[in-house]
Amino acid sequence: MPESEYILELKGITKIFPGVKALNQVHFQLKRGEVHALMGENGAGKSTFIKVITGVHAAEEGQMLLEGKEVHFRGPKDALDAGIAAVYQHPTTYPTLSVTENIFMGHEIIRNGMIQWNEMHGKAQELLDRLHANFKPSDEIGALSVAQQQMTEIAKALSTNAKIIILDEPTASLTSNESEELYRIVDELRDGGVSVIFISHRFEDMYRLASRVTVFRDSQYIGTYDVNSITNADLVKAMVGREISDMYPKPEVKIGEEIFRIEGMSRTGFYKDVSLSVNAGEIVGMTGLVGAGRTEVMESVCGITKADSGRVFLNGKQLKISKPEDAMREGIILLPENRSTQGLILSWGLGKNVTLPIQKKLAKSGIFNDAKKENEISKKFLEQVDTKAVTIFDPASSLSGGNQQKVVVAKALAQDNMKLVIMDEPTKGVDVGAKAEIYAIMGDLAKQGFGIIMISSEMPEILGMCDRVYVMCNGRMTGCLSREEATQERILNLSMENSERDGKEEVQK
Amino acid sequence: MAGKSGRTIKAEQKLTAKQLLFTWEGALVVLFIAVNIFNMSISQSYTLSNVLREMPKYLAEIFMLFPMAYILVLGDIDISVGSIVCLTGTVTCYISNAGAPFPVVILGCLLTGLLCGMLNGFITTSFPELPSMITTLGTQIIFRGIAEISLGGGGSVSYINTKQIMPLSTKLGKLVPVIILVVIIVAVIYTVVLQCTTFGRSLYAIGSNKVSAYYAGVDVQRCRFIAYSLMGLMAGMCGLFLTAYTYGANTTTGQGFEMEVIAMCVFGGIASTGGKGTLIGGITAGLIITLLRIALGQANVNSQMILVVVGALLIIAVLIPGIKGRIDEMKKLRSAA
Amino acid sequence: MKDKSFIKMITGSREALLFFILIVMGILITILNPTFFSPVNIGQIFRNNALTMIMALGMLCVMLTAGIDISITSTLAFAGMTIGMLTKYNIVNSTLLLFLIAMVIGLLCGVLNGLIIAKGKVAPIICTMGFMYIWRGMAYVVGNSQFASGEDVREFAEFGKDGTIGPYIILIVCYAVFFVMLKWTKFGRKIYAVGSNPEAAMISGINVDNTLVSVYTIMGLLAGLAGALSVSIYASAQPNMQYGREMDVIAACVIGGVSMSGGRGSVAGTFLGALIISIIAKALPLVNVPSIAQNTVKGVIILVVVIFNVITRRMVDKQNLERREM
Repeated sequence: MPESEYILELKGITKIFPGVKALNQVHFQLKRGEVHALMGENGAGKSTFIKVITGVHAAEEGQMLLEGKEVHFRGPKDALDAGIAAVYQHPTTYPTLSVTENIFMGHEIIRNGMIQWNEMHGKAQELLDRLHANFKPSDEIGALSVAQQQMTEIAKALSTNAKIIILDEPTASLTSNESEELYRIVDELRDGGVSVIFISHRFEDMYRLASRVTVFRDSQYIGTYDVNSITNADLVKAMVGREISDMYPKPEVKIGEEIFRIEGMSRTGFYKDVSLSVNAGEIVGMTGLVGAGRTEVMESVCGITKADSGRVFLNGKQLKISKPEDAMREGIILLPENRSTQGLILSWGLGKNVTLPIQKKLAKSGIFNDAKKENEISKKFLEQVDTKAVTIFDPASSLSGGNQQKVVVAKALAQDNMKLVIMDEPTKGVDVGAKAEIYAIMGDLAKQGFGIIMISSEMPEILGMCDRVYVMCNGRMTGCLSREEATQERILNLSMENSERDGKEEVQK
Repeated sequence: MAGKSGRTIKAEQKLTAKQLLFTWEGALVVLFIAVNIFNMSISQSYTLSNVLREMPKYLAEIFMLFPMAYILVLGDIDISVGSIVCLTGTVTCYISNAGAPFPVVILGCLLTGLLCGMLNGFITTSFPELPSMITTLGTQIIFRGIAEISLGGGGSVSYINTKQIMPLSTKLGKLVPVIILVVIIVAVIYTVVLQCTTFGRSLYAIGSNKVSAYYAGVDVQRCRFIAYSLMGLMAGMCGLFLTAYTYGANTTTGQGFEMEVIAMCVFGGIASTGGKGTLIGGITAGLIITLLRIALGQANVNSQMILVVVGALLIIAVLIPGIKGRIDEMKKLRSAA
Repeated sequence: MKDKSFIKMITGSREALLFFILIVMGILITILNPTFFSPVNIGQIFRNNALTMIMALGMLCVMLTAGIDISITSTLAFAGMTIGMLTKYNIVNSTLLLFLIAMVIGLLCGVLNGLIIAKGKVAPIICTMGFMYIWRGMAYVVGNSQFASGEDVREFAEFGKDGTIGPYIILIVCYAVFFVMLKWTKFGRKIYAVGSNPEAAMISGINVDNTLVSVYTIMGLLAGLAGALSVSIYASAQPNMQYGREMDVIAACVIGGVSMSGGRGSVAGTFLGALIISIIAKALPLVNVPSIAQNTVKGVIILVVVIFNVITRRMVDKQNLERREM
């Protein structure tokens, strides 16, 4: 049998979920010993595709060739046996179990029907050494950092002697140092003859690691390119389907007086000595790497968690905020990062979601719910943000990510005492069309004189929408750039300042 | 800034009779009628006056159905209530036997229950990491333990002055027992609070998604504390009426009540996972089970067969949504392909 | 420095903490009543609590998968009544056969639980609550208003009579089997995996449904075994036997460090948890605390242990945060 150039080949894969085609006739070719990036927007079908390769999902149509031979995986076990291992986006570890137990789950070393613990501990230590890990095989996984958990997952993939390793957004929650470490590991894997599929949103990852890149968009295959021969702009175009210059309708707004200020806020273990200010009509960006403490600062401002020290001022008046209700009463409204777990009650109708924060205000004598008034108000605001829904009683779970985000915006707008809006990753997991609409709403709010803080990891929207950008790194505010000063390079520099200190924290144990 | 596409969203909701029938509550009402017809067919003495006469025996524990619905809607569970009934029943007897006036007896009983509930509430809200099942397992053993200690070696206590508590077990106008009236009043209050007030809405919000509710400004721990306190209060109410009908308390008073009450709620469509069901469903389910018990008792059916029937009803009831969900999913899958 | 590592060991491992509590308890009891540690007393502790200890093993497996089973004492009564009636009317008289019948009944009850919970996606507490009523009712139905007295089951009760070693052997065998199963076999690993992260378990090719059905089947099997033991040890079979005992079993697991959210717990911890409850019950009268106080003491211990656990975990988390450099 002639040796195929490709170790793995997928042709015409189609996967259908109830109500949607998650993958539509996609192709993919992985060469021996290459690092292949897989890119595309959220919801483009990358994760589903990975799960088809690893046998978690069975494709309705299509063909999969491993080393030139057609294979059919009936379950994840088959894929593992064939030498395909995956490290998923959300580490799929067993939090209550030890590192060794995690590494060998499903393929324990068994002799005479008994698990050989000593041998497994030894083998686990070897793998951890190979990855230069700074934790022990006996540590409980739940107590480790996300990066360490990810390393365990990679050790797990190595322990199966996998020929193909799939990394699903491995750098999403890593610091720059930890990312460097990961790059080194991936390089070593490739040099050892392992083929790697690498999913990432970061162009940086792709340039650093991959030799070829495949792009998916809207569940479809767009193309495969050599990393060296494709420009950034072309890649973006392939991913989003159009030029993105018209994405950011930033209106010219006359910036007013300062309305909001934080002074010297600290919370042990999360952020330290953070200060910032927002003026009326201003869109202020807050960026930095994931885990830098941006969300945590804003959660403390909104009373979700308590800061240990620091002062918060609104219109010059110092506020005392100990629970979310307090912040809302003052007019500080948070649009949380995670719509499905923090922003909305998915099983509820849209209307009830919109009016939940203001139900007391609307209620008759503050006690009895006033359905008529609630319906009127929620209808008004849901229409204002142009939600694609039939009735206000549709469950929130029936909407797309973008429309769910609009409901979250409507929920904020319905609070008529709003002065400051804090949007945490407002376009995460939102399709391109809805993104533009959300930016338009932000622009409108700025025009009306509200103060807006946007937490975002996406450089283009920070550069496109913000009047000023604060950058955080490892719990500290490392800089503030005006719209004119802000460039991708400067923001990245500030995001990674002091980063050489990162690695030390774990070593002390 | 109006909707740019000019799209409008409907804010009216019309439920057809068919849709109403296909809610869990609708199905329960149909079942309620069916059960009554069934009851009449198996027992000649299944008449209104007979039912009214026999009902009070079973009604005391219905008091706990209402706050239990709150706790289940929250996604919590309280398995200590049977023991609170025992403790409050015991305390009531002792207060009465010590010669206290009637209002003091009632107040003492309800206060004991409330305090037990507040203790549950205090522990569960101070340590939200602990599953409520574990906390209330601990207090379940403690509350009954305290009752056992105060009951001493004999293990039981009886009212000396039975006349004093008689008013609780009499009938108004020689027809309607007091307990039925009180249950109806309590039922209306609890139903209105759960179904029509901001507090009730908050309970559903917490049970559906605790984090989202917290982010939306709902005071999660305060709501939980109130629900547990109300639970204790109503367990006290149950203890009061139960001892009034049985003229005393012993170490097994109220044993197993918690599960019976939870079973009624779940049968009534209030999911133990939180956020689902209504008290109307819960009350209908409670009535169905109570009436079944009365009729099967009248028909001299082995009283323990009733356990089998109740258990089977419960399991069928909880299996239906899963089966329905699977059918819906299959339909969707087919339409997508 | 030594102190610190001692505290660390106690707060770090539930088994070490329980062992420490056990020793302190033992010393206190011995000071108050030196006659406590006699072979007879120790033997009685195990004999009287053999049922709880055996069923705690099944409950451990169930709770490791983040489930719970409150139908076990009903299963026990159903199985116990069935064999009680069989031997009362001299239909079956072989001790071994009676044990097997009880275990088969328990196993079938467990399979039903498991199927409904795994395939029907019903909350474990609700499903087992339904069967709690059904099997208890069936125990009455089987008995048909009769019960088996000491005279009726005399031959069968020879096995568990005071002074025989039968119950102890069963107890030891059960613990040995489960200790090996959970620690050294693939099946044991699967139970932990399913409880710790069912989604991950599924992705790594573990059949979650089958594992769930298995643990409830094991639980049922042990409940059936406990039913036969109960008839044998207490020389009687009544439909209301061991009513409410399931909470003792759960309590033993909870004290033993088994987490209700799954994936955490061990055979050793469960054993120590059950042992602590058993010793309290036996020791209170011997140290002049009236035995009616034992429930209160038991309840307080449950709360103290679980709250202590939460507080130490909070402290550890806080320390970890303070160590973070910024």
